[in-house]
Amino acid sequence: MTGFFSSDLGMKTRSLQCVSVIFLISIKSLVLASIYGQTCSVDEYIAESYFKKYHSFIEREFDNFIANKIPLGSCKLLGDENLLMAKSLSRNVIGEGSHRWLSSSMRLKFPRELKHELTARSCEVVVIERLPSGVFADPFELQHFVQRGVFTDAAVFGDTNLELPSFRSNQTVVEIHMSIDSIVPLRDEDESEVILKVPLHARYQPLGHGFSRVEFGAPDIFTCCSSTEQDAAKMLCQPIPTSLIPDKKASPLMWEIPCGNKEHAAVVSAVTFGFAISTALLIVLTSVSYSRQ
Amino acid sequence: MAEITFRSVLLLSAVFRVVLIFYGEWQDAHMAVRYTDIDYFVFSDAAALMVSGKSPYDRSTYRILKLRGVPEKLSTYSAMVWLFNPFTFTIGTRGNCEPIVCSMILWILICLMKDNLIQAAFWYGLVVHLRIYPIIYALPIIILLDPLYFRHGKKPALGKWSFRTSESSLDSSNAEKTGFWNFFRSLITWRRVVFGILSGTTFLIFTGLSFYLYGWDFLHEALLYHLTRTDPRHNFSIYFYHIYLHYEHELSILEKLISFLPQFIVQLIIILRFAPDLPFCLFLQTVAFVAFNKVITAQYFVWFFCLLPLILPWSNMRLKWRGLACVSVWIGAQTHWLMWGYLLEFRGKNVFLQLWMASLLFLAANTFVMINIIRSHVFCPLFKQSSSKSVKDD
Repeated sequence: MTGFFSSDLGMKTRSLQCVSVIFLISIKSLVLASIYGQTCSVDEYIAESYFKKYHSFIEREFDNFIANKIPLGSCKLLGDENLLMAKSLSRNVIGEGSHRWLSSSMRLKFPRELKHELTARSCEVVVIERLPSGVFADPFELQHFVQRGVFTDAAVFGDTNLELPSFRSNQTVVEIHMSIDSIVPLRDEDESEVILKVPLHARYQPLGHGFSRVEFGAPDIFTCCSSTEQDAAKMLCQPIPTSLIPDKKASPLMWEIPCGNKEHAAVVSAVTFGFAISTALLIVLTSVSYSRQ
Repeated sequence: MAEITFRSVLLLSAVFRVVLIFYGEWQDAHMAVRYTDIDYFVFSDAAALMVSGKSPYDRSTYRILKLRGVPEKLSTYSAMVWLFNPFTFTIGTRGNCEPIVCSMILWILICLMKDNLIQAAFWYGLVVHLRIYPIIYALPIIILLDPLYFRHGKKPALGKWSFRTSESSLDSSNAEKTGFWNFFRSLITWRRVVFGILSGTTFLIFTGLSFYLYGWDFLHEALLYHLTRTDPRHNFSIYFYHIYLHYEHELSILEKLISFLPQFIVQLIIILRFAPDLPFCLFLQTVAFVAFNKVITAQYFVWFFCLLPLILPWSNMRLKWRGLACVSVWIGAQTHWLMWGYLLEFRGKNVFLQLWMASLLFLAANTFVMINIIRSHVFCPLFKQSSSKSVKDD
């Protein structure tokens, strides 16, 4: 299913379409506002609205969605400033083998007095990870974490076929919700830290030589609070700006996954079939020479 | 010294399984790696859990052996091969439904032995609907329903254990005596036709019902998936690396047929040579089916482990040293494969080639075990050919 944008169109048409989509989304928000009396509310999951519309993950479309879905400035949670600001973000892939953890550790400027207010409105920190196509997250495993209270909510969007190798599958998006309590205050009065560990699994990689490299981008982080309006299912979200974080693109996060070697193909196939036929003939020989007496 | 009765063994194994189930609950709650299989949530029917721990299966094994005149002690020891087999009790308590399929297969055997044709046909149709693999049993069952066994309107006389060494080779395997076309013509007898039609109808009814309830998804997931399934992820099968290396382009029809050829040859020869001794035939077929399959996972082993107790009383293999050799070779090859699998999956080393060679070794081990089992087996047809003389029902 192609999305609203097709990669075959020229740049002019694309920017024209970009503008018209933004225009349409604004119109939609206004319409919703007039119906529900509020703006910038989202459903249970932020990423859900994207996948309802586009069905599969396309990098640029998702960028647009994140940038324009929640227009900065028109979603005021509390007061006028951006109260939660990210000061640093360190990311790492922990573990060995096909099952590892994507660990993100974020330092936030988080005034103490804000915590009570955010807890009262059952606010959450929402992290959206765009997973490269070589890895996937197991929705069952994430649900297990939700049950144990590590996350308040978790969902996986996109192609969730766990069996397909990566050259057949599309990218997925993982959305994790954590309660305000997971923001741990540090010694510094205004600073706090939140650590997120997402369990990931490697898919079978396209054939190559030795190892295949999978690269991780930066996550999108939001503060979301429940709406005070009647529609309790909706949330109000505000992105946590990561502009303060220095030089995110310096060294991209990588994971090396072993892959099959194309040169083995002929030998492996020949030996496999030869071996199978030989063992089959051995069994045939034994059965035929078996005497029933 | 306490007498090992079948009852006490049954009780002990049931208690052991219940303990394992409680342990599984504890592990699920306290450790990151779950004990309970993901399948449990799919088959969340509590009855499935009870049946896998309870005795319908266990009693069936024992019953079949008793019907064939195997003494109590030998029957008990044979049944213990299932009850205390580490594969079977872990798979049974993890929430997997394989034990239910196994108990159905055994029940079908009992029905055939007691000449309950309609019941046997019904359960056979159902079990093929649940798991496609029992379809390989169709031909041997059809061959078994030879009219030569069912004379005088009585139940077929069962081949007894006590006569196993003096059993004459009076079996009616027509395939070897008459010609090819005569063989097929002789297949059209009323018992065989009834069995075929009843089981086929049962299968279609259950498939139709599932299709009505779940639509095309069901058809794809349950049936068609098996025809086109090519899982490139590493498993015990020798074909996994070949499938992975060719995943990017479709395999030609010729390649698919070639990979099916060894399986087909082995199944056919086993059926032709051993069909009258049905439990042995089913056991060999299942081992071969699993060994030559495109995908092999540990839970498939349960399919033939449940039939193992049925053939042990007729095996000349002593535990020392042939039996022990078979067990060690089979487990050794598996452990060897698991070691490379661990390095690949949990240490991230590129050991695809070594893992593939380990799977070749595992097929060799399976072949070694099969050959030994065949050579030490005493052929004993399930049914005795009834003659015109007075038939003693013992």
